[in-house]
Amino acid sequence: MKNILKFLLLPALSISLFIYVYFNDVTPKLGLDLQGGISLILTAEEGTDSELIEQAVNIMRSRIAAFGDVQEPEISISGENSVLVQLPGITDQEKAIEAVGTTGLLTFRPVLDSSLSVGYSPALEIIENPDDPENPTINAPEGVDDLTGLTINDNPNKVSYLLSLSGGYPVIYELGPAVLTGNDISDALAVYPQNEWIVQLVFKDDSADKFTELTKQLASLTGEQRKLAIVLDSQVISAPGIALDVNPNVGIIGGTAAISMGNADQGQSANNLAVVLRYGALPVSFERSSIQKVSASLGENTLKLGLEAGLVGLIIVSLFLILYYRLNGLIAIIGLSSFGMLFYSTISLLGKYQGFTLTLAGIAGVIVSIGLAADSYIVTFEKFKDELKIGRSFQYASEKAVSEAWKTILTADFVSLTASVILYILAIGPIRGFALTLGIATVFDLIFTRFFTKNAVPLLTKLSNNSRSFFPIKKEALINV
Amino acid sequence: MFSKLFLGTTEVNFYKLGNRFMKIFLIEIVIFISMIVLSISGYRDLNLSVDFTGGTTYQLSTNYTQDDISDVLNNTILKVSRYQTFENSNSILFRAVESTQERETELLNYLSNKFDVSKDDIEFQRVGPTFGAEITSKGLRALIIFLSIIVILISIRYEFKFAVIALIALFHDLFLSYTVYELLGLEITPSTIIALLTILGYSLYDTVILFDKLKDSQKLFKRNQLTTEVLNKTFNEVLMRSINTSLTSAFPIISILFIGNYLGIDGSLSDFAIPLLIGILSGTYSSIFVTVPFLSKIIKTN
Repeated sequence: MKNILKFLLLPALSISLFIYVYFNDVTPKLGLDLQGGISLILTAEEGTDSELIEQAVNIMRSRIAAFGDVQEPEISISGENSVLVQLPGITDQEKAIEAVGTTGLLTFRPVLDSSLSVGYSPALEIIENPDDPENPTINAPEGVDDLTGLTINDNPNKVSYLLSLSGGYPVIYELGPAVLTGNDISDALAVYPQNEWIVQLVFKDDSADKFTELTKQLASLTGEQRKLAIVLDSQVISAPGIALDVNPNVGIIGGTAAISMGNADQGQSANNLAVVLRYGALPVSFERSSIQKVSASLGENTLKLGLEAGLVGLIIVSLFLILYYRLNGLIAIIGLSSFGMLFYSTISLLGKYQGFTLTLAGIAGVIVSIGLAADSYIVTFEKFKDELKIGRSFQYASEKAVSEAWKTILTADFVSLTASVILYILAIGPIRGFALTLGIATVFDLIFTRFFTKNAVPLLTKLSNNSRSFFPIKKEALINV
Repeated sequence: MFSKLFLGTTEVNFYKLGNRFMKIFLIEIVIFISMIVLSISGYRDLNLSVDFTGGTTYQLSTNYTQDDISDVLNNTILKVSRYQTFENSNSILFRAVESTQERETELLNYLSNKFDVSKDDIEFQRVGPTFGAEITSKGLRALIIFLSIIVILISIRYEFKFAVIALIALFHDLFLSYTVYELLGLEITPSTIIALLTILGYSLYDTVILFDKLKDSQKLFKRNQLTTEVLNKTFNEVLMRSINTSLTSAFPIISILFIGNYLGIDGSLSDFAIPLLIGILSGTYSSIFVTVPFLSKIIKTN
């Protein structure tokens, strides 16, 4: 009785977990290749600082969040210098790829006015209402949000009202059309020459004149209008003023400029600005080393094929086992189906709580593991046969077989496990998914061999001592070797 | 015959067969080397997918004619180097060189207009030229570390000589798969690489189970080294398990190929299935036909 409970423990556990997963509607999280979407791998130069890549990933995440259309985007660092971006079910691929991959639009725009003078966005016209001082009438020009006074869809070629948060408090600037862009810059560096951090800016040769022209114009103005705003993706990141000693007839010449940043934060803001100026939004530039687009229908078909093939495979293997190993085959079938249920539940739960996605490579791992799990049963049953052959009793043979088989399976599975761990640690992309499913399956195989097969097989020999119940052969033939 | 095979009482003298197996093995080696020479000298090329060469692919489902295909091949936007059609499905795949994003998008629009298929329904893939090199180098690094650990493991559990034999069997399986790929001109994709890694696993798993059995028989005969009787008993007994295991491993994979073909689904999953099947068959073969001659050699030197 105690033995029956022991051997039913694992199947019962697997079935209840499966029921839990099924009724809570937890299903495996599907990879892009199974549900459709875009997957791209961006690669930075070899030896890029990992901190910079992390920064870039964070920026990409916020950009994709701003993009809207994507459900559950996944952006992760893979390998030493690659970023894997997975955008499931996206329709406008060009825009999405643009959003993560490119370094961002950096522009230089003259400041026309700012909220510093009036206290609110210069776009808004506020008319006091004498009857109701709490609710003045607010007029905003077209394309400007009448609550915040910010331009809704920024166009760098038109006047816009954009926000700056870099000074520690929000400032809204009225900006003219962009005069220069990030493409005009050849280099930017944060330096600390004397008492103060400075960002040194070097323009490309043919852009230097444009910059001189612009500064001439700005130097002739005063106050807010003397400022030049540096805008990145519709946000003002800095708006330095032109120094008072710049001659309006000459402007800033030589194609270089220095932006003084003070020294409040040990140069951090200077460094950040230099990085943005150099690379645009992302601190590193990436090469698009792989783009893959899978339509939803192909993904579905592949998943269907994988599931059907897995099921058909399982049925054929079961039939084979039961025809060949009879009662023992039945044990193997109970074991294999519990194995399948436990495996499915685990992958679903891992998807829900750990973000594990099941990809095509993962399915291949599953299919391979069906074969490996079936082999563990075959090894055990063959040992059982060998023990019977040398004249042992059924009871003794079965007990000896399970303990001998355990040693063999332990060694063989150890090889598979080593392989999956090494692959998981060292490989990239799809190979990791494969390694993980194979590894999980191998561990489950060990658990089932140790706690299920080991208890179940000796139990059967109590039921029957007829060799026909275990093998397609007569007892006399088996023992009189 | 079956009952003998089943009981492991077939009386094959594997020790004697060792020499004959060795000859077969040497013939295989000659074939492998000539295949490698052929591909290095450029007479036969391995069919590497865009993942390794860099480039773009476009795959769509449509009713096409031969004229359509030659139109696409002669387009002026991008050089289309190769196309592929599939049995039982009206999918067609074009492979083009790598170019600027604008050009690639232009070709996408062109195909979308030409075949009247929505842009979203065209599978598009683009791979930079360095990506394949990265996968390959990382895979090779993983492989070398893995093999070193395996050699140590097998040497501890069995003998160093056994570890060497396991490696020989393993490389035999890899080269055999390579040869089949080269001969059939099958496309090598990242999936193929994963499948090759699995073949490694199968091959080792099979060999380890065999060594375990050898150790058992050694104990049974109360010997502390390999002898002719140990070898013969082991291999006669292990035949049935080898056959059963390869059958049960092969069933799910064969069903992928059959169902895939029946449903008219091409591509990725078959990319796994074909090399896996080759690997399982080769692994079963090598665990007997490659290990036996070397084990016989060990007995001789003993």
